[in-house]
Amino acid sequence: MIDLQTPLLYGAFGAYILSTLLYLLHVAIKRPLFWRLAFSLVCGGFLLQSTVLAIRWTSAGYLPVTNLFSTLFFFSWALAAIYLYFELRYRIAATGLFVMFLNLLLLGGAIPRDPTLSPLVPALDTPLFSLHIVFSFFGYAFFAMAFSLGVLFLIQKHIGTALLPETATLRKLNEEAIFLGFILFTLCMLFGSIWAYIAWGHWFSWNIKAVWSSLVWLFYAGMCHAKFIRRWQGTGYAWLSIAGFAVVLFTYLGIGLLMTSNHPLD
Amino acid sequence: MLLRLWNLLCSLKLTIWLASLATLLTMVGSLLIHFYPSVFGDIEAGPLGSWLTGTGAKNLRLSFWLYLASGATLLLGINTLCCFLDWLPNWRSRWRKTGEYLIHLGFVFLVISFVWGSLAGARSDDQVIAVGESLSLEKLVPGSGYSLRLDAFEPLLGESGRPMDMLSTVTLLQDGQELMQQQVHSNTPLLHDGLVVIGRSYGSTVEGFLFATATQRDLPLRPGDTLEIADGGMLRVLRFYPDAMQRRDGKVFPRGAQLGDPAIELELIRPGSDPWRGWYHLRQSPPLQLKQAGVILWPQQPLLKSYSVFTINRDPGAALAMTAGVLMALGACVALFSFYRKRARGDRPDIA
Repeated sequence: MIDLQTPLLYGAFGAYILSTLLYLLHVAIKRPLFWRLAFSLVCGGFLLQSTVLAIRWTSAGYLPVTNLFSTLFFFSWALAAIYLYFELRYRIAATGLFVMFLNLLLLGGAIPRDPTLSPLVPALDTPLFSLHIVFSFFGYAFFAMAFSLGVLFLIQKHIGTALLPETATLRKLNEEAIFLGFILFTLCMLFGSIWAYIAWGHWFSWNIKAVWSSLVWLFYAGMCHAKFIRRWQGTGYAWLSIAGFAVVLFTYLGIGLLMTSNHPLD
Repeated sequence: MLLRLWNLLCSLKLTIWLASLATLLTMVGSLLIHFYPSVFGDIEAGPLGSWLTGTGAKNLRLSFWLYLASGATLLLGINTLCCFLDWLPNWRSRWRKTGEYLIHLGFVFLVISFVWGSLAGARSDDQVIAVGESLSLEKLVPGSGYSLRLDAFEPLLGESGRPMDMLSTVTLLQDGQELMQQQVHSNTPLLHDGLVVIGRSYGSTVEGFLFATATQRDLPLRPGDTLEIADGGMLRVLRFYPDAMQRRDGKVFPRGAQLGDPAIELELIRPGSDPWRGWYHLRQSPPLQLKQAGVILWPQQPLLKSYSVFTINRDPGAALAMTAGVLMALGACVALFSFYRKRARGDRPDIA
């Protein structure tokens, strides 16, 4: 079964590339058919990616999100899931183009890497680990979605195109993405802290990864409050979403790849 | 005046300012932690309070941010508590925000538990206990009478021979009375009264030697052991050094715990003769006195004793932190469900 993962992965990548092209066509020539086809391809890609995840999970016997390949893959899968959530709930149409670009970057970054499943070290053999990473990457995916919505809000505000939803809708969606991301990231931090306590004896660590994860939480907690302040609504909130995602990217990739931490991405 | 102070403490803008201040300071500080291990390397060796009054105070140029960020976080905790207290009496009209305010209360508990643990906690990463031996925990929990005994130890090795896990069976005692026994391994620490015991490493030490005699194939000898010999005499083992060094004046000193030049100190008591006491360097021929007494000891192999290295921490705020976690998790779930209800009802947030 595990041999199937590579063709399925390429299939998913191909589906996402095609959907991105169709979204671009939809932007250029606004036809519902292109959007429907693009959306169907995202659904197909997500289904293939889910199958790969299920195969890898079954083969490994644990949720395989332990190295750079698997985290990029899982992040991409979570982002596709979040995109589908917004698309099905709000029909965001061309708004999906930006998210699909991000998704392609993530999956494109994963594909050249080694997908080999390594035995799980006992320290990671706990449901707390699985809960920690699932909530973490879904939180990240919502923050990535908020980043996309923030960028699109700024574009819409400055050029005012009929291809994008109105700024009020984009603002609402952005707030929803931030709120849901914050809630999931809170759960990620809670499970991570409990796990750290039973694995290392302290629930908060001054390790750079733990510190920056706390910063991500604090930043988005601040954002959840900032939406109640008039000055920060709309444009300010969009810029905060962009800045927040920069913090997320540094926490996930910057620290994992460039620095020594207790969350290495090798 | 008091009302203005209360309004300030409940202010949403104060929350944003404090959260931003704590975030920015910690962003800068986290990089200082990373690039100055000589200053921050021991920040986790003990509770934060002792680091702030020790190493931190001596290196204020690099650690100033931590005092400021701690202050900002403390103020944020107070601000959050005031917001919660402001909301609580109005619960009946603002119950839809229950989830969010449970997260607020959880955060307040988290800050308190962190401060409590930082001031009254204790940490130790290098507690070595050999199998069958006990370690007093008085330094970690003064006046508690706690001690920890290692009853058994077994490493779990992978296919390549690499250690995968460490199974340490430990007993926690209080004033010599057994309180609890547990096998400690990965993600399964011993938890009691704010204490957390985690296996960190292991090793073995040489505690004696296995000998062969003319009549006995395997004779283990450790310090304290005695051996009856012919003519009603007795041989007693006084000391054992895995790596011994003999000075010119004849005195013997231990060089280290690793096996090198092992030596065993013996006392030979025979009726009608003066007792003899001396060292048998196992890489050399036996002492003449042993040969004259007819005691033949052929060294076979070292006797190894396993030990575990434990992380033993005490965090009096751990239970409160767990309560905070439960409150926050509950709050997150309630907030998640109420979010959709609020959206469906068309509720919009209050604008400040």
